[in-house]
Amino acid sequence: MKKIIDSLKSGIYFDHYLFISITILSLMGLVFLYSASDGNATTVIKQSFFVIFGLILMFIVSQPDPDFYKNNSLIFLIFSIILILLTLFVGKEVNGATRWLDLGFFTLQPSEIIKIALPVFLAAYLYDKTLPISLLNTFITLALIIVVANFVRIQPDLGTSLVILIAGLYVLFLAGLSWRFIGVSFGIFILSLPFIWNNFLEPFQRQRILTLLDPTADPFGSGWNITQSKIAIGSGGIQGKGYQMGSQAHLDFLPETETDFIFSVIAEEFGFIGVCILLSIFFFILLRCLYLALNARDRFCRLTVGGLSLLFLSTIFINLAMVIGIIPVVGMPLPFISKGGSSLLSFYLAFGIIISMATHKKLMQK
Amino acid sequence: MIDINERFSEKKNFFNRLIFVYIFFACLFLYLIYKTFSLQVSSFTDYEIASLKNKTREVLIQPRRGIIYDRNGEIIVNNVPSYNLIINPSAIYDLNSTLSDIKKIIDLSDLEIKNAQDNFSLKKKLNRELILKTNLTNEEIAKFEVRKYRYPNLFIAERYSRENMYPYLFSHSVGYVGSINEEGLQDILSSQDLKPRETIFKYSNGYLKGKTGLENIYDKQLRGFFGKRIYEVDANGRFLEEKETIDSIDGKDIYTSLDLKAQQVAYNELNNRRGAVVAVNLENGAILSYVSSPSFSVNDITNGLSQNEFNKLLNDNDKPFFDRAGQGRYSPASTIKPAIGLFGLEKDLIDWQYTIDDIGFFVLPEDGRIYRGWRKDGHGIINLQDAIIESSNTFFFSLAYQTEVSELIEYLSNFGFGKNICLDCFYPDKGLLPSPTWKMNTHNFGWFKGDTVNLGVGQGYLSATPLQLAYYSSFLANKGSLNNFSFVQNNKDVIRNNFITNNINDVDWKKIHESMIGVIEDPKGTAGRLKNLKEYIIAAKSGTVELVSTETKEDYKIIREIEGNRDHAIIIAFGPMPNPKYAVSVVIENGESGGSVAGPVAIAVLNSLIKE
Repeated sequence: MKKIIDSLKSGIYFDHYLFISITILSLMGLVFLYSASDGNATTVIKQSFFVIFGLILMFIVSQPDPDFYKNNSLIFLIFSIILILLTLFVGKEVNGATRWLDLGFFTLQPSEIIKIALPVFLAAYLYDKTLPISLLNTFITLALIIVVANFVRIQPDLGTSLVILIAGLYVLFLAGLSWRFIGVSFGIFILSLPFIWNNFLEPFQRQRILTLLDPTADPFGSGWNITQSKIAIGSGGIQGKGYQMGSQAHLDFLPETETDFIFSVIAEEFGFIGVCILLSIFFFILLRCLYLALNARDRFCRLTVGGLSLLFLSTIFINLAMVIGIIPVVGMPLPFISKGGSSLLSFYLAFGIIISMATHKKLMQK
Repeated sequence: MIDINERFSEKKNFFNRLIFVYIFFACLFLYLIYKTFSLQVSSFTDYEIASLKNKTREVLIQPRRGIIYDRNGEIIVNNVPSYNLIINPSAIYDLNSTLSDIKKIIDLSDLEIKNAQDNFSLKKKLNRELILKTNLTNEEIAKFEVRKYRYPNLFIAERYSRENMYPYLFSHSVGYVGSINEEGLQDILSSQDLKPRETIFKYSNGYLKGKTGLENIYDKQLRGFFGKRIYEVDANGRFLEEKETIDSIDGKDIYTSLDLKAQQVAYNELNNRRGAVVAVNLENGAILSYVSSPSFSVNDITNGLSQNEFNKLLNDNDKPFFDRAGQGRYSPASTIKPAIGLFGLEKDLIDWQYTIDDIGFFVLPEDGRIYRGWRKDGHGIINLQDAIIESSNTFFFSLAYQTEVSELIEYLSNFGFGKNICLDCFYPDKGLLPSPTWKMNTHNFGWFKGDTVNLGVGQGYLSATPLQLAYYSSFLANKGSLNNFSFVQNNKDVIRNNFITNNINDVDWKKIHESMIGVIEDPKGTAGRLKNLKEYIIAAKSGTVELVSTETKEDYKIIREIEGNRDHAIIIAFGPMPNPKYAVSVVIENGESGGSVAGPVAIAVLNSLIKE
């Protein structure tokens, strides 16, 4: 508290805990990436620029008062929806998915921006509504969440659309969605699963789910990734094989080592000890977010910090659960570690907003 | 106030819900950590093995097959190196320009170029070598060697081919090797705890297995043990680094008892006639010569023969693939007579003074049936010794008539009839030692006294292979005590057979030998023509196998128009007398006269062996 007052006094809004832990995580990420990319210096230098730029971005974003975000959230949302729509028409296609906008110096993935903009907008929208949320508002917000998530799903990017969906639902839930509504919706969701399976999933996505249930059925086909990832993690043992010594990662057995499966590389080279150290940093950040959310100054800040931190939490969980083989393979990066500018910057942006919410206190609380 | 209460409850609600989600995820993360723990700690060993398996690839190294020698150390089967032109595709970017470079010094056929182009990308991807051309000539090798510096990714390496130095001589004894099917390979490898996989071959024609003869019987010793080369590989199976090499263990060489010279003599004497020669060392039962004629080239079989040429051999009326020495069945005919005589002495049916009046035929008292001798007017008053020398049928008809057939059969089995007497022959036939039970079972007829009478002159159902006849010959020469036959010198596994007798003494044996010497030496002997061919005293007994029964010589003249109806010529012989060292048997199909057709072959082989 004393520190916050100190920074208030100096006019700079800054959270030591988050800043230091995120910086450490980012630096560790660069070290891991160097090994995961098979010692590719270009990749690491490029990523370093994103890290430096991201840290600066986080600092800048944490300076404005939360009201700035509250008042402009609609503009942010509309802006990011436009980018998403633009992607659908003029986006760059890679491996059959159109997710990127080529900006010349940087390929932007707009779905990474909208995953931040949507929860912020929902928090602002619900800021002055009476609670518990009326049925009408529930449907309006739900419709918005589903429409936005669907824009991303048709790219197709099932992973990110899922994250957007749950990030929106978190905000609704935290704002006080009635348990009855939750119960009924859940029931409807379960009942409509066969319908979703048949109409909303691409064949390769269905295959991934089937593969998860029995990866040994086709170890050299679609089960390859999960099988090799498990071998990489398991063969790391307690101490790991040593930095840059992971045979699974370096002899091409492991797929996507720089992005989705970077955790398997870490687990192979640094073992269970390395995994525990990495997870404790993540847990530290998450607990700090919990603390900040519980002490936020108003409903907007509470919902935003709560929503964004749960978004962060879910992303980590989905990535780890995927590489360990307990959920199907969906494209999901490990925050601050995986290669990829857009996803990296989106989390610096999210934490910049979280710090802004946590460090700006009104003299008179409403 | 309401506002404050409301805000307080809202905040409390938010706390509860946020903490609820955090606790929910805490549980999920605990499960995740538990899963990671079980992967990395509980199942570590399994995954460590899986990871090791992933990145290592074992390549088998073929062992060199053992060399086969004759008894004097002459090489019979050897591994003849040939030289192959090989490239390393990983280091080559433009195959076609490389090939045209190579063509400047070594000619490549269209097929070789196509083969190289077809396999190039795969071999390059996997970092394996690619054989461009096999069997380089000395000139090609020399041309390449002086220009080697210009072709850094090209080299010449040695590969063997299995070659018999005398491709026709040992076809039925040493046999041949051939390539192997998947199943056979699995058997061989699993006996060495290996699984079929990529192999570095030392032989141009890949995996080898002994198919026939000694190559088959001693396959295990000759084969040796596969080695292993262990590579680190990436996910695409590309070789990255050689980690370890366990050398292959070469197969054991085999020193056979076969005698190259005797083999050559036997083969040349048979001169592509249908027949067989087996010669053995009396001291240890070692087979010195084993020829079946006509023969075929084992190298052609091993190194590839067109289907046409193969069919030609297969359908040849003379059946070159058939091993007449070990599998051909022939009636012993008159060669059986010494054994029948011994039986008569054993059972006190006759002695050396016993005589009969040979009037040219024997009449079976039961039904008046006539059994004729070879000389129309007979041999007159004749004893056992002369009956052997002159080959009197009537004497042995009447002797056989007096015998109990079951006793006679049991006695004959001592001489090797009806059983396998070879330790390491390739599927030897047991011949046929008939018995009343056998006749009932196969012909559904009882045993007639006439059958016993026929047995007395080695005609009828009794049949034996040349190998068995050689054993019989050795048995007579060694006076009943000899080893089972083997192709390997000083084979420790051979069994010594000792003839158990109550009545046959050394004098009897001596007289038997004298009688058999008389077959050649005595003016009345049936093989008197051999007298001038030999340089040592030889004991022998000739035989002529009647294939078609005829009453008179005129009848025979008619049937002999067809070659296949002519009598087989047989002789057994041993020498040098009086202390014989070698025994031999010769069969020449449709050769007509045992003494004058089969005899010279036997004498030539014995001469060659004795002279050595």
